[in-house]
Amino acid sequence: MQTKTNLPSPTGYAGIVTKPPEWHTLVVFDILFNNLTTGLFLVAAVGELAAPATFTPVATWAYPVALALLLADFACLVLDLGDSLRFHHMLRVFKPSSPMSLGTWSLTVYSLLLTAIVAVEFVAAAGWVPGDSAAAWWIRTLAVVVGLPFAFGSAAYKGVLFSTTAQPGWKDARWLGAYLVNTAVTLGAAELLVIAALTGEQLAVDTLRLAVGLLIVLNLVALALLVGDLYPLLSRLYARREFGVAGLFVLLTGVVIPASSLLAGGVPVTASVAVASLILASLGVRFAIVRLPHDAT
Amino acid sequence: MASRELEVVHSPQVETPPSRGPLSAFLDRLIGPFHRGEAPERKPAMGFYTDTTVCIGCKACEVACKQWNQLPADGFAWTGNSYDNTGELSATSWRHVKFVEQFADNQPPEPTGNGRVSLHVLPDQPHDVRWLMMSDVCKHCVAAPCQQACPTGAIIHNEFANVYIQPDICNGCGYCVAACPFGVITRSTLSGHAHKCTLCYDRQKDGLVPACAKACPTASIQFGPIDELRERARRRVEELHRRGVPGARMYGSAPTETYTELHSFYLLVDRPEVYGLPEAPFNPWLHMLGDYFRTAIAGAVTLAVPLAAFLLWGA
Repeated sequence: MQTKTNLPSPTGYAGIVTKPPEWHTLVVFDILFNNLTTGLFLVAAVGELAAPATFTPVATWAYPVALALLLADFACLVLDLGDSLRFHHMLRVFKPSSPMSLGTWSLTVYSLLLTAIVAVEFVAAAGWVPGDSAAAWWIRTLAVVVGLPFAFGSAAYKGVLFSTTAQPGWKDARWLGAYLVNTAVTLGAAELLVIAALTGEQLAVDTLRLAVGLLIVLNLVALALLVGDLYPLLSRLYARREFGVAGLFVLLTGVVIPASSLLAGGVPVTASVAVASLILASLGVRFAIVRLPHDAT
Repeated sequence: MASRELEVVHSPQVETPPSRGPLSAFLDRLIGPFHRGEAPERKPAMGFYTDTTVCIGCKACEVACKQWNQLPADGFAWTGNSYDNTGELSATSWRHVKFVEQFADNQPPEPTGNGRVSLHVLPDQPHDVRWLMMSDVCKHCVAAPCQQACPTGAIIHNEFANVYIQPDICNGCGYCVAACPFGVITRSTLSGHAHKCTLCYDRQKDGLVPACAKACPTASIQFGPIDELRERARRRVEELHRRGVPGARMYGSAPTETYTELHSFYLLVDRPEVYGLPEAPFNPWLHMLGDYFRTAIAGAVTLAVPLAAFLLWGA
């Protein structure tokens, strides 16, 4: 028997039956700010713990920036809810089966520890306690160490949240979490490079230029794995030309421009161009990911 | 049953609590959601069995659902192609009667320029045409992806093993919408919260049959203990096979490799896709651990790059 078209879909009821959630631009920026704050914290903390003499002065500036980015992320998260005044309901339960619940708790603990670090720095900078106070140093170091796994969890949950859905594209994106966490670290290293360049920490700048260069290559690998997952749907949704233009955009903004800027030198301008270009590439990829189910249905 | 319903209507009403100050109201709003009541005693699992072979598309179920649950109308618009003017399940339509028109030999009539089919081009031989009708609803999955997704604990399995959204808890994050493989849950544009069929939880608590099942004039929608319904459905499929309907099959009455059984299951006479049901529903949570593992490994490898750079050149 042949089924007649009886709904707007040309195949009647057959076809994609899932409904895309009302996740749009705010979610794109939520993912971006999440990556920017967690990545910056992770790289700053790893740098501070691995080479304190070189990276502590840079990390001291990085944590307040990470906190500001986290607040921007929280704003996106809360405003995107259907009922923003109920945002605290997320803390009613701890539910590891839900990546969103796990992410909420990771973000909460991370935000508390990051606030504590910035508070200690502020108190020391204001001269209320001596900057070399052992107690303040221990509290700060403890918060940095304990904050690492929670910052990592905050960066890691987002991709799994998307891939653990029934939506076309997202449900096939086995490497989405890997790509997002990889981008977070790449963006974080680039942000730290800008801060190091601005504060004039030359050894940190040289080391970070090398690290960012390597991370950009690794990011390309992660993106290739993700595109491999999504290719069946992407090739169905978009024409070869659209696909090519998008690829060129990502290659230019995600690899060519930042790599050229890194090679051009380690001054604040080149570092800023590199991070701005990486952010542009990240935004493009995130827009494409978030709109996938909308385009598919 | 009707007299029981009248009794419910005339039962004592809950008194409105006295009004309080804004601080008290604010604290209630802040702390209230964290209060836990006692979980009700578990009851036998209840559900729906929908026999699509006897559905006549009267939409009494849709109307009864809207009436009992006080759901607003969705407006009235013809699609121009079908008697289905509801379109899909939504935050305000928790029942949806699907109309599937099938043609054996003749090609289905081509729509005219405005996308509508003229009545003059309908086939002359009625026996060449088959109408399938199905009253769609939330599937009340045993392992429900929406419930697994919900980060607030708003979506629960109630004492009747039905999937229920606590409207005072949901904050409209939309994750349940993304997780549902059947496209059932929708976020309301009015309240911002997620809504779907409650399997008339309030009526069940009072010992009443859900409104849709009560209104169904052909017993296409049957309600009861899930084991009894499965047995009834199995006998019906056997009967249909004997009567020359080889395509009769159950959908969702038994678990598959990728999905658990449904507490709202169907008897179909064609492929599930024809009715707008996924042929092999997949629980997205089957991928979750693997995805976390890949993410963790990738994250560790990525972090090792700056760490190595810092140790080798930054010290």
